Amino acid sequence: MPRLPSPSETAIERLRAAVGPSRAGGIVGALVLVTAITITLEVLKRFVELPPIIITYLIPVLIVAIRWGFVPSLVATVTGAACAAFFFYRPGYTLYVEDPARRLGILIFAVVAVVAAYLAVRMRRESENVRRREKEIGDLYAFSRRLAAGHSTADIFDAIQQHLSAVVGRKVALFEPRGPAGRPEPIGESDVPQGVRAAVAAVIAGRAEAAGMTVGDDHGDLWLVHPVSSKTPDLGVVAIDLGSQTPESEKEIRARIEAMLADATSTIEQIGLAHAITEVRMRAESERFRDALIGSVSHELRTPLASILGAATVLCDAPAVAGEPRLAALASVVREESERLNNEIQNLLDATRITGEALQPKLEWAEVADVVNTALERRRGRFAAHAIAVELPPELPLVQVDAVLIEKALGQILANSAKYSPPGTTIRIRGCMEGGELALAVSDEGAGLSTEDNAHLGERFFRGRRHIQSTPGSGLGFWIANAFVAANGGTIEATSRGENKGTTVTIRLPVTANVEQLESIASE
Amino acid sequence: MSDPAPNVLVVDDEVQIRRFLRSGFELDGYAVSEAENGREAIRAATLKPTDLIILDLALPDLDGSQVLERIRSWSNVPIIILSVKSSEMEKVRLFEMGADDYVTKPFGMAELLARSKVVLRRKARATTGDSVVRIDRLKIDLAARNVFLDDERLTLTPKEYRLLQVLAQYPGNVVTHQELLKEIWGLPHINDTHYLRIVVRKLRQKIEDNPNQPRILLTELGVGYRLAPPNEPAEPAAH
Repeated sequence: MPRLPSPSETAIERLRAAVGPSRAGGIVGALVLVTAITITLEVLKRFVELPPIIITYLIPVLIVAIRWGFVPSLVATVTGAACAAFFFYRPGYTLYVEDPARRLGILIFAVVAVVAAYLAVRMRRESENVRRREKEIGDLYAFSRRLAAGHSTADIFDAIQQHLSAVVGRKVALFEPRGPAGRPEPIGESDVPQGVRAAVAAVIAGRAEAAGMTVGDDHGDLWLVHPVSSKTPDLGVVAIDLGSQTPESEKEIRARIEAMLADATSTIEQIGLAHAITEVRMRAESERFRDALIGSVSHELRTPLASILGAATVLCDAPAVAGEPRLAALASVVREESERLNNEIQNLLDATRITGEALQPKLEWAEVADVVNTALERRRGRFAAHAIAVELPPELPLVQVDAVLIEKALGQILANSAKYSPPGTTIRIRGCMEGGELALAVSDEGAGLSTEDNAHLGERFFRGRRHIQSTPGSGLGFWIANAFVAANGGTIEATSRGENKGTTVTIRLPVTANVEQLESIASE
Repeated sequence: MSDPAPNVLVVDDEVQIRRFLRSGFELDGYAVSEAENGREAIRAATLKPTDLIILDLALPDLDGSQVLERIRSWSNVPIIILSVKSSEMEKVRLFEMGADDYVTKPFGMAELLARSKVVLRRKARATTGDSVVRIDRLKIDLAARNVFLDDERLTLTPKEYRLLQVLAQYPGNVVTHQELLKEIWGLPHINDTHYLRIVVRKLRQKIEDNPNQPRILLTELGVGYRLAPPNEPAEPAAH
């Protein structure tokens, strides 16, 4: 049935239906601009002698060409010429022009306008191209930078996923072929239907054709499942939601996206991604191996150590030894050194927990005073030579952290303070609220930090040059403290006014609710 | 120790550990017997009167926690667990299975002796049926449901009193967060640790000299709370 135009359908809507919405807008714009110029000239002509009218109409033609393209600018040319003839040239108020010179003028105007409009449109296209290419290069640059900085395959696959999403302009779910969970997990878009996942698994396993396939889901959407690269399965498989498509439009959109994928893949391959992935995997593998080794060795060392330390403590308190100062001194050497050895082993074990990614904080509401007291209590022996001053205002809020990890972090910092400040000095622990965070600061009057120390403090196994000879240690303490605090969403910062001027280490923890709020919940 | 020598059963498969534990306990006046695996430990605990068991978790035949479970099925003899594992989750699990205390290897003998003394004293108190617990300046009268600081009667809210009451049933022993939450607020609130923190904070303000450095109501980080060991029982009940 032929569709009859309803009475409400305006001229613009009809125009839109005829030439498409963006062009219709341009044509309307052209008409508006030409009208505006005509009215302006009509008004001006009463006050001043006007220059050749027709040239003025080049202004709307150029504006329209740059903004809306070639066809609307033609409309502006024709209406401009018509307006000039109608309003300004004798005899006036008709399209007929008396003066032959002016008729020639209109003709020249038309030619110039068309040529100028054509040039303007081309210029616009060029500049758009340049801008797009610039963005592409920017994306690629960002991508390669992320690849270079990637520490794990997860980082690299994150980068690929973002790059592909940017290129294709759709949400892309990327499946890492050997995901951490053993079965492929999507990066980026987690909401992937079961049927699509099965298809992904088939492609990864090599059961499906390497050219990819389309799969429908329950909502009638089509998904394109396609290996990123046809050469190597290591780059993973993408699943892209194409929306609901008819068979014809499916073919078209699939071809378009496959072309874009091929483009992206060839750049990825040039960047040497496959190599990067293998390298990262090997690095992770060797780190895992090292940590497993440290872990098992530490456990093996601990068993005999338990006997040594236990026996030493029995000896220290045995009346026969306690009454003999020289023997007592020897027994306490055994005890103290085995305690130290035990601490070092504990540090190694903590360090393997951090790199092994087994660090899953168990967040619970905790009282900071409890954490501080436990840290001091567990290391009572080590602070015997120092005065400890604790300042914790009673109104400090509860924090939601893994108190055990924070206690270990604080313990490391306190142990460092005791180690690097002379006996008899004071170690201060101060808690306060600072800009929505709970700050716990440990200050000592000890060796302080040199600029070099400051630069390397966060590194695993770093030890200050001044202390390597004189003070034993492994350089793990601050690194462990840092990792434990970071796992709880906090930060740690060391400041010093310089060498031998003391150090202040501040742990900052996020505060999510204040005590009064919680109290109103808990009150009976 | 004024009592006749208490019997301690040391269960560990490492001969070196048993050796120093024997010396340490004997020097402190205990009578020591040994077991090197789980079955032997269970047999020894049934055959001989035992006042205290020191139980290593890693045994060659049975898991230490199985031994704990078996012994708990007929006896409430104090049991102190030894383990190289120091995870708080593990501690919570064992406390809830009925362990009286938990010591992480390696440890010093003095620490183990101090803890042994606490669990033995609790057992002695439980057998005399004394309903008054004295810790430092605090006196908890469980029968009259009264709490005194020095001689002054304290006004506690029902939740505060309930907390003290649950802890005072085993003074010196750790009670886990979950157990306290269940006892005081009921099962649905078993994960609302902040309820506990707030009531503890209020209670400490009433019973501690310095609530920031508590001496009576002590925190076992990541595990639970405990009361400090009660005063020696010799004092006459003046009130």
